[in-house]
Amino acid sequence: MRLPFATLAISLAVLASPPAAVAMEDFVLEDEVALCSSCHGEDGIPIEPEYPIIWGQEYFYIYTQLRDYAAGRREHDLMTGIAAEYTRDQAKELAAYFAEKPWPAIPAQIEDGDYQLAEKGITGGQCSACHGKWQGDSRIPRIAGQQPAYLVQTMHDFKNDVRMNAPDLNSTMKQLDDPTIDALARYFTTIAVQ
Amino acid sequence: MIRGMTTAAFCVAASCLTGAASAQEETSSSTLYGDLQSVTQNMLTRAAGDGNNFLHTNGNYAQTRYYPASQINTGNVKNLRPAWIFQTEIVDTMETSPIVVNGIMYVTTAFNHVYALDARTGKQIWHHKHAMGPVTTYCCGPNNRGVAVSGDKLFMGTLDAKLVALDAKTGKQLWETQIAEAELGYSETMAPSVVDNMVLIGTNGGEYGIRGFVKAFDTETGELIWTFHTIPEDSVGVWATHDATGRDMHRDIDAEKAALAKMGDPYETLGGGVWQNPAVDLETRRIYFVVGNPSPDLDGSLRPGDNLYTDSLVAVDLDTGEYICHLQYIAHDVWDLDAVSPPIITTVADAEGNDVKGILHAGKTGHVYVHDAEDCSLIRFSEAMVPQEDMWTLPTAEGARMLPGANGGVEWSPMAIDPNLRLSYAINLHQPMTYTVRSTPYPEGKLWLGGSFDVIPDEEQWGNVTAVDYDTGGIAWQVRTAEPMIGGILATAGGLVFTGEGNGLFKAYDSSNGGELWRFQAGAGVNAPPSSYTVEGQQYIVVAAGGNAQLNFKRGNNIIAFTLAD
Repeated sequence: MRLPFATLAISLAVLASPPAAVAMEDFVLEDEVALCSSCHGEDGIPIEPEYPIIWGQEYFYIYTQLRDYAAGRREHDLMTGIAAEYTRDQAKELAAYFAEKPWPAIPAQIEDGDYQLAEKGITGGQCSACHGKWQGDSRIPRIAGQQPAYLVQTMHDFKNDVRMNAPDLNSTMKQLDDPTIDALARYFTTIAVQ
Repeated sequence: MIRGMTTAAFCVAASCLTGAASAQEETSSSTLYGDLQSVTQNMLTRAAGDGNNFLHTNGNYAQTRYYPASQINTGNVKNLRPAWIFQTEIVDTMETSPIVVNGIMYVTTAFNHVYALDARTGKQIWHHKHAMGPVTTYCCGPNNRGVAVSGDKLFMGTLDAKLVALDAKTGKQLWETQIAEAELGYSETMAPSVVDNMVLIGTNGGEYGIRGFVKAFDTETGELIWTFHTIPEDSVGVWATHDATGRDMHRDIDAEKAALAKMGDPYETLGGGVWQNPAVDLETRRIYFVVGNPSPDLDGSLRPGDNLYTDSLVAVDLDTGEYICHLQYIAHDVWDLDAVSPPIITTVADAEGNDVKGILHAGKTGHVYVHDAEDCSLIRFSEAMVPQEDMWTLPTAEGARMLPGANGGVEWSPMAIDPNLRLSYAINLHQPMTYTVRSTPYPEGKLWLGGSFDVIPDEEQWGNVTAVDYDTGGIAWQVRTAEPMIGGILATAGGLVFTGEGNGLFKAYDSSNGGELWRFQAGAGVNAPPSSYTVEGQQYIVVAAGGNAQLNFKRGNNIIAFTLAD
């Protein structure tokens, strides 16, 4: 049995360091999906704007992030503890489940001047060299149609050396100012998800 | 049967799949050498003189991209018009070199789709989609540069680091071989080369801490024949302090030696991808290729030594893969100004003015390097084709400006030559960048640049088409373009060079003086190398217009064939 989400969250919040990785012997996919959905949304729309959409995200990207949380390469108050309990195969099973789901639509949130600022940021950071048409592929995440508040937080986390599991992004994001980061995040809500 | 092989070839051309054979859809005999059914070694060997087919990614084994047909020429190119446009399923970055065999064209797209087309009409014959594995790791876009052809097979490298063989008549897969592990950063975007029943292919991955190689596989079985590691177990070299042009690279040799004593030779994760095809010299049974950057790109602190054979021209034995010679352009590169454009074999003047067999390579530094094929030594280097400023300023934590930017110079784009004019033709990029270093440990298959190279947004970018006299190193002519250039170029016996731009323009220039003679707006970035062919007496120029992921040029999905208006 898994702990109720609220209890789990409180328990994890007081942990000073991630727990040692322990294989979950009673792994039941439906239970774990329910746990994930309590934040990432029953219908694929996360309950908070700062949480990422994971429905339809790339399989290998989800798997890699779970492994990075478990190994301490990426940190989050909740995700670190949750991911630490999964074996590689369990993480793959969850990644495959969510990768198969349809990407949910969220409304575009563009403002005047966003396109110009975003294009400037994309050119400067050479973002398309890895992110292509923003649809994701394998270890590269889909960012088209992603929650803008999550993208803003992510870009700031790279810029401020909070998130360290894609080390070259720390340098790249330092070149972007806050208005450009905000514009980029809104711009990606306008890209059609394919 | 009287009709025998000829009928089979006609079926391939257009009609058997639909069962609607007609005389109009038949492809006539157009080959100079061999039969219609398959591509013989003789055809491949003599491709430089074949004005009907286009059998190699870069035209012929010497990789001259000089097409011997002259029906389309300086006098009539103004009448060039689209003959047909084929739209692929994939609207994304296109770098394919169309291959044409007896009126059948083979093109590839991003994510490893392959199409066979009737080269006269653009009609699809078959379409093959590679069953991509769940793990791919690649830079810089989901590109593919085309197929190699031999016998009745096609060969393609894939993003999930496989080599696949397809039946040229049906597109069905015959075999596949896992070349290397995709999760560790290996991938394939280059077109393979085929010679004497061997498929030759390198690897991407210099941005991910791979150990590079060129491998030879059996065309019939896919079994590995030999491997040449582009990174030897002793990668230290001679502690070169200056680059091949004689400029000080500001290395701290003492610090590097101390690091080497502490951490040992870094060869296992040192990079050294091979992005483009080797030039093949059947006379000496050698191949010549260039090796890309060391990993991590910008952080030299983790990889003391010259980082052999990164940033080098290398020659190995065609039959065994054994090392013959090399020349390193930049030892211990910390700018990613590496060697990617495929080398060319041609006759060049040596330092005394005597004709010798030479090798040309266009570097990301912006120079055309001219080598003696015998020992790889450098005969000369050309004037810089793009601005160079503050070379070699070391990357800093804050970011240091230096030109050229990290895309070059000349990127992976192949050059062409006109052996009669003794000119090489290159397309250039001018993209001012800052180089930032940030040391991080090997990330096990993730992007590992060791910092970043960032375009300076307020500085102007542009491109060039540049002709260099490779006997002197002087620039013969140069034409400015609005966008940085990436894709490739083709020269023809009609006195023309063809090349495209990121803004969709596809142009023909007079190869003797750079005068623009024709242009066409393709509607998406023309960032792929053009090819040419002749069917039923009609010469065509063909190019892909699919844009480019690396430079974010407008994507598309068009293969456009041009011929002279009636």
